[in-house]
Amino acid sequence: MGKTLVISKKEAGSLLNEKTLVLALIIQLMIASLSSLLVMGLASFFDPQALDKYDLRQSKIGIIGEGDLNNFLEKSRIRQYHYPSLSLALDDFNRHRIDAIIVIPEARPSGNEIIEIMLYLPKSDIKGTIATVQLKKPFEEFEGYVRDIRGKRIGFEPVKLYVDDIPRKTSTYFEFIYGVLIPLLVFTPVFISGGLIIDMLTEEYERKTMDLLRVSPVSFPEILNGKMLTSIIIVPLQAFLWLTLVSLNRVAIYNITLILLLVSIIAVIVVMIGAIIAISYKKRIISQYIYSLILILLFLLGYLFADSPFNLATRLSSGAMGMESLTYFGLYAALIIPFYMYLNKIRAI
Amino acid sequence: MNLLIISKWELRRTGLYFGKRILILSALILILIGLVSLFVSQNGLHINDNIYKIVVTDPAIAEVLMTDDKFNVYIAKNTEAIELFKYRDFDILITENNISYHSSERSIAALDALDKAIIRYDEARLLSYNDLNNTFPVWITVENIERQQVFQAPALQLPGFEKSQDNTDNSIPLEVTISEKPGKETASYSSIKEMTGTNKLSPVEDQVLSTPSHFNPPFPFKSVVLSFLFIFPIFFIAQLFSSSIMEERIRRKGELLLVSPLGSYKIVLGKLLPYLLISLVMMTGIIINIKGNALMLIIMLPVILMFLSTAFLGAIIARSYKELSFVLIFMSVLLSGYIFFPAMFVSIHAISIISPVTLIVMLLEGEQVSITDYLFSTMPFYLVSTLGFIFGIFIYREEDLFTQKTIRNKLVDSVHEFIKRTPAPLFFLSMALLPVAFSIQLMLIVLMFNLQIKTGVVIFIIFAALIEEVVKSAGIYTIFSRKLSDASIRNALKFGILSGTGFFVGEKLLLLIVVSSIAGSVFGSAMGIGLLVFPLLLHITSTTAASLSLRSRNYLFSIILATTIHSAYNLYLVRSVIFG
Repeated sequence: MGKTLVISKKEAGSLLNEKTLVLALIIQLMIASLSSLLVMGLASFFDPQALDKYDLRQSKIGIIGEGDLNNFLEKSRIRQYHYPSLSLALDDFNRHRIDAIIVIPEARPSGNEIIEIMLYLPKSDIKGTIATVQLKKPFEEFEGYVRDIRGKRIGFEPVKLYVDDIPRKTSTYFEFIYGVLIPLLVFTPVFISGGLIIDMLTEEYERKTMDLLRVSPVSFPEILNGKMLTSIIIVPLQAFLWLTLVSLNRVAIYNITLILLLVSIIAVIVVMIGAIIAISYKKRIISQYIYSLILILLFLLGYLFADSPFNLATRLSSGAMGMESLTYFGLYAALIIPFYMYLNKIRAI
Repeated sequence: MNLLIISKWELRRTGLYFGKRILILSALILILIGLVSLFVSQNGLHINDNIYKIVVTDPAIAEVLMTDDKFNVYIAKNTEAIELFKYRDFDILITENNISYHSSERSIAALDALDKAIIRYDEARLLSYNDLNNTFPVWITVENIERQQVFQAPALQLPGFEKSQDNTDNSIPLEVTISEKPGKETASYSSIKEMTGTNKLSPVEDQVLSTPSHFNPPFPFKSVVLSFLFIFPIFFIAQLFSSSIMEERIRRKGELLLVSPLGSYKIVLGKLLPYLLISLVMMTGIIINIKGNALMLIIMLPVILMFLSTAFLGAIIARSYKELSFVLIFMSVLLSGYIFFPAMFVSIHAISIISPVTLIVMLLEGEQVSITDYLFSTMPFYLVSTLGFIFGIFIYREEDLFTQKTIRNKLVDSVHEFIKRTPAPLFFLSMALLPVAFSIQLMLIVLMFNLQIKTGVVIFIIFAALIEEVVKSAGIYTIFSRKLSDASIRNALKFGILSGTGFFVGEKLLLLIVVSSIAGSVFGSAMGIGLLVFPLLLHITSTTAASLSLRSRNYLFSIILATTIHSAYNLYLVRSVIFG
């Protein structure tokens, strides 16, 4: 045991000594936070209510024609400009005086024909996107209004639920942060460590230093355990760092201890897989290639079923789950045994 | 010819590793991946399963909610339900038809998810009526019209804007489709009406039809995912390439080749060639598979070069496999970000064109890609990857390959080589490194996209200045730290002027080639002679400051000094944007 720790310390020392590792981690951190920012911005495009957080300028929209839709447009956040004809509106559109044009058709809600609204938007232009986002709500309200009139004809009864006062609500941010971002952040270190153990082992093989180590008083299992220990221990440390950073961003994270336990269990499994690959192939070029393939497989598997490690991290961090997750932890921890037995078998050779 | 022999060796050596067992194993894993992704694509991603807990009293409503995996639904009697909601951490309580919720973030998000789930449920039921006119009565037809985007103040309306006039012509036929409806004035359009008749034969591009609930900003999700297919094999090949080079260094196998009469550039190019060809073959395979356009291959070429070049440089400067892994992970994260994030904005903003993948997405979406688009988005890739190879080849020699020098030391080594081999080195060095600065700045623009405009501009200006100052002072630092000439004031001044001027000339050249091609005459005329003088003075002043301080102080201090001068000037220029 003592010798295992010696090896483990030596590996940790060399990780810190090559300062670029620390640097690379920091820079990764920066990029992950910046990119998540970007993805969140993107996600908000699909959720107009989410965009309300930003102080977007009101879209200037040209309107041609009269109809019930006008009532809903008036209530919305857009600025309206009425035109007698489309060509006049297009002139202003091309001069950047308005950002979009709506042509309201003759069809009436009480009628029977489909109401086809024509909308002109600038191509590949952020203004078009903002106009889309701001027009969605009035369009939806208008649809609901027409449906109320026409749905009765076919005997459609919508599901109706009542709530006292409706808060400003959006689930996009919430589901993105807990469903995508946090699992990705806490499991990235796991995947990195799997690659790390491969690098540690194959480098010893290729520099032929493994043979030197073997004739030293340290046994091979001790060397292996020491290296694996270092790779595993840095995982919860990094995950903790990520989670702290996210909380600093005013995202509430529940069950931090349980999440760290979960990533540690998975890290043990993934690091063992890495070690098995490295011992079997001994060359980095092959080992890393096989590991990358397996990584893709594991990643896909993580999204395959509910109660996967990713999903557990989502529910734990959002507080939708607590101690009851320990059952699943037990199941995943049980997976360690067969891997450990296999590792024992091959490292004897 | 010798180059080809090296290629053959390289191919055989790496090929040997991939014996039958490995190939069978990877085929097996690939099949498994295929099966799992098929399963995922059919059953959907289980990302937010059971994230919300809801307790209901009405089993009918429970049934509605169970159509969405996000909800963990619990049915209980009235009093028990209220108790559960109050004390047991449930997000939402529905007694009969009345919703109660907590004020927590999760509860409010659950409310929104509930709202969406019910809309989805109702729409699914509506669809089953098979009566479009009464169930989905409102449709929106979106017509996207090309319009010149304003990059600059509207006062600069120059002939370059003629293009927008043409676009009005394009839209006239569409106008008529509407005027055909009764009640509008038709007389004046009667002649054009005939035109519409012929136009109807060709499918109208850029027209999207949707109901209000599916009316969202354009996002080419499928194409972005598809374009990821292209990048994927490149990751692997770059990894193999770097592994192969690093392995030679670790096993000290490459030493024999180095003493051969072949130049190091031939050895490197020989090693590169097989990986480049394999990538191109794989790309061609993918293009044929997805029935893509041959143009995609030319678009991917600079991307492949870029990945291979960073893999090569990484393998040369890393001291161990671990370090190589981290350098490569870092570079791939950076490159993927640069490549993919702009592509997501493909139909949202014109800046997306800075990424070659955007061009792929455009082609996949059936849009046209012009030669200027191509030049604009690929030029930085070509230039930077070439630089990567050149600077890597400079240190492809025994003293750098087989020793444990630090990364900084090796980079300084390659700059040192550059200085030895070029006349007027400082002038050309800052010019040569310019594409690197330019690419990083483009990436910064992308990253700043989501920040508030004022904060974004300030951060961008500071970082942009920092990058430019690092690039300009790299040579001066090398000269002083390697004691290539005395650190006299006269020399410091001379170096600052040379380096600053070189950067300035390079910047203007790049602007002429790349930027003017996209912004038309607007940029050209804005860059009057008077305007040119100040940037030149700025580049010289800031770099000279760095150069002078490098004589006695450390690098970090000098860079911060130069960056402060540089960004102060730029911030002053855009003060009206920042301070209103």
